[in-house]
Amino acid sequence: MNASIAQTHPLVQIRRSRTLPVAGMVLVRVGQKVTTNEVVAEAEMPSQFHYVDVMRSFGLATPIQAEKLINRKVGDQVDKNDILAETGGVFSRIVRSPKSGTILSIRNGQMLVETEKSKITVNAGFNGTVVEIIKDRGAVIETNGVLIQGMWGNGKIGFGPLQVDEHQLVSELEASSFGLENRGMVVCAAHCTDTKLIESAAALPVGGLILGSMNADLIKLAEKQDFPILVIEGYGKTLINDYAKQLLTANNGREVAVKAVKWNRWTGDRPELIISLPEEGDAYREIVELKPGQLVNVHTAPYVGQLAFVNKVTEGMTTLPNKIKANAVRVKFMNDEYAAIPLNNLELIDLDNRYTGKSA
Amino acid sequence: MTQALADANSILGIEIGSQNTRAILFDVVEGRYNFLASGMATSTQKAPFFDIGEGIFAAISQLQLLIGRTLVDQDGNLIMPAQSNGEGVDKLFLAVSGGPQVKTATFGLLNEVSLESANRLAETSYAVITDSFGINDRRSIQVQMESLVKARPDIIIFGGGTNRGASRSIVRIAQMIALTLSTFPKDSRPEILFCGNRVVAKTVSEILEKHAKVTVTANIRPTLEIEDLGKSSEEYGRLVLNVWKKRMDGISRIAPLCAEPPSISSINYQRMMRFLGKLYDPNKSVLGIDLGSAYTSFASANANQCNVKIFPFGMGDGFEEVLNRINIDDVGKWLIENVPADELKEILWQKTLTPGSIPVDEKGLAVELAAARAILDHGMNEMRQQSLLAANTFEPIFISGSTITHAPTPQQILLTLLDGIQPVGIAPLIIDKHGLLPILGAIAKSIALLPVQVLESSAFANLATVINIESKTSEGTPVANARLTYRSGSYMDVEVKQGSIATLPLPSGDIGTISLNLARRSTVEGLIAPDEPFKVHGGVCGVVIDARGRPLTFPKDEAARRERYKRWMFMLGA
Repeated sequence: MNASIAQTHPLVQIRRSRTLPVAGMVLVRVGQKVTTNEVVAEAEMPSQFHYVDVMRSFGLATPIQAEKLINRKVGDQVDKNDILAETGGVFSRIVRSPKSGTILSIRNGQMLVETEKSKITVNAGFNGTVVEIIKDRGAVIETNGVLIQGMWGNGKIGFGPLQVDEHQLVSELEASSFGLENRGMVVCAAHCTDTKLIESAAALPVGGLILGSMNADLIKLAEKQDFPILVIEGYGKTLINDYAKQLLTANNGREVAVKAVKWNRWTGDRPELIISLPEEGDAYREIVELKPGQLVNVHTAPYVGQLAFVNKVTEGMTTLPNKIKANAVRVKFMNDEYAAIPLNNLELIDLDNRYTGKSA
Repeated sequence: MTQALADANSILGIEIGSQNTRAILFDVVEGRYNFLASGMATSTQKAPFFDIGEGIFAAISQLQLLIGRTLVDQDGNLIMPAQSNGEGVDKLFLAVSGGPQVKTATFGLLNEVSLESANRLAETSYAVITDSFGINDRRSIQVQMESLVKARPDIIIFGGGTNRGASRSIVRIAQMIALTLSTFPKDSRPEILFCGNRVVAKTVSEILEKHAKVTVTANIRPTLEIEDLGKSSEEYGRLVLNVWKKRMDGISRIAPLCAEPPSISSINYQRMMRFLGKLYDPNKSVLGIDLGSAYTSFASANANQCNVKIFPFGMGDGFEEVLNRINIDDVGKWLIENVPADELKEILWQKTLTPGSIPVDEKGLAVELAAARAILDHGMNEMRQQSLLAANTFEPIFISGSTITHAPTPQQILLTLLDGIQPVGIAPLIIDKHGLLPILGAIAKSIALLPVQVLESSAFANLATVINIESKTSEGTPVANARLTYRSGSYMDVEVKQGSIATLPLPSGDIGTISLNLARRSTVEGLIAPDEPFKVHGGVCGVVIDARGRPLTFPKDEAARRERYKRWMFMLGA
């Protein structure tokens, strides 16, 4: 029986593919050391066009007639008011380019002038080494270090020195966390319910926010911010789980890369933070069989964010207290309470017995 | 018939959903195809497996445990054909309903005519509409082209023009699409489904096929008055499946083992609904609702029409979209216990992060079933507003989706359905607990007899026959006296009051006769001769008489609302 894993490690080997959504140019090579913000690949996408219908402008009957009058070809650079097509003769009629740009396409007597390009870039996301090039798309970056995966991110990536205040780790985010000395830092707090605090963080700005949980009303505001907001447990007022808290506290002051993407289960891309360390990490595992004694984090009410040890793995269906039958395991919470938790409601969190709190 | 049964006795159907994979076994028992059992496991097309195989294997393993038969050999290969010792299966069918998001852009001429039909066509399969373009579009051509580039569709549905109708505008749109697609990287150009004026189909194909693959199908608007999505819907479903095949590992590997090429569940479901629609009363409609994880399907069919609408939301992967479309108060109004608004919001939003989660306590279950009611209510309203219900009364209603079918008690299922659907008239409720309809639709193409015989068997559970009485009398006033006469001749009487629900026990498989003595100003929609006794089929919850009125109303006072709801649950024994 396998369970989902929320990778939470003090030292693990981390490899991540960093790729463009379309074909582009890869800017790094195998063996190259890269930093969090370093661009590994880029591509240009047409983002604004000007559409010119030569056939209609000249009132012609067929596209072939129109194309004969077009005196440009695909790829030509044109300036504003350059002639694109003309009828010729004494009373020649002319179609001019409304803006400067590049002729992108000529089809059926119509032209497309690309007037603006947008550049898409993908950066390394964390300090590491390029171990593989993905042709025309990007690269695989590797590092060793701390890895903590979360549940939600606001779609932004950033980095900065980790600032862990033990009081903030167990309490609501406070305005005092946003003094000038915190500019560019990645600030941790148990939870945030106040829009003003997100705005204060943006005004500073911080390098990022790492929260145990967040009020669901803040989702839209959080998504508008330029800095990453990573939520480890979910929505509400849940504290950061004890194991992640231990790892954050132990690495206070170190540079942390925060990839606060939205969890995409189709690509496996998940919100996470990485603190690169100059040591060899444990092997990375994605599929692990569930066994008694393993530490899990429960993600659903009434146990959101609570750590527990697997007590018994049962084959077949378990009847839950509400009489629903589900694939479940029996777990023992830190307060010694036992409960049957569906497999879909929990994730393995400590694969290498590194958690230094209470034991099973 | 004997030959068909002998060729393929043991049939295994696999349905890959967004959250769950089902392995469903049918076999011949006493000369007829029967549903034997189904195994279910978590689907594995997403991270970390990225391949449907693991989920299929787990589902088959569970199925093997249930039936005590070996279907897979020691190397993990499906044993085919079935052996004399009972191992293995004769034929395998694969249907898919859970793939990554497919983006569709729609093009048409008039917003209220062909573009509306193109949008409706897009809603007959598992996709989201990212942008729509019509000739009344207020955006300039440049902006429309930029929008199309931004939309990055996987599929373009291009309708417009009645047959022999408008052609120049169609050609102009085709040229615009062609020009825009020429800017797309070659490996990310959408497939185009042309479903407009047949007369210009060849010209449109010639313009577009230099840039993208074009499929020409039947005109969705052959005349201004007629909308025909039948054929085009099948083609569209096939295109959605094509996108999934490219993005989901394992389908192509398993396809050679299948008796038919893998199919998409939306088409299969539609096929079955169309078939069922022809079996029942043409003045009524068969209603099918599949409350899935990522998508929710509504289908209404009778002999004259079959309408399908697939909403891009559901109880798991599609739950965030539920919260984007449905007000949280519309979920909260179904709760029996006091859950503070903030806590309800947290539970619901947390579910968007844990799409496969299962409630563990009573409160969680109540919230889940309240959300299911809100989705059903939303879906039914949309179906009504878009005139997609083939009739107002439903006979029967088929329900699938694990949130509902796996609720602990049949009374909880019944009340969820009555609240969410609010049927009128007489409506038998049938539970498709094993999600059989899509796989029956997949099998129907090559073994037509199997779905027919399975539908006649007890594979589907009759939940109840519900008689809905509407009355303008005040709460607590008697609206009907009902007598259920059993086959044995014995009978049971019940007085039904306005605002109440009454139940009369009648086991599944049994038939009884109901005599209704309706009070003045009380009616049962569609019941032509209310004074005459009529036959009813039994179900797990028997015969249920719902006199709560339509639409259901609640007192404004929270405590009074909860009290009323508690009373309804008590009346049903939930």
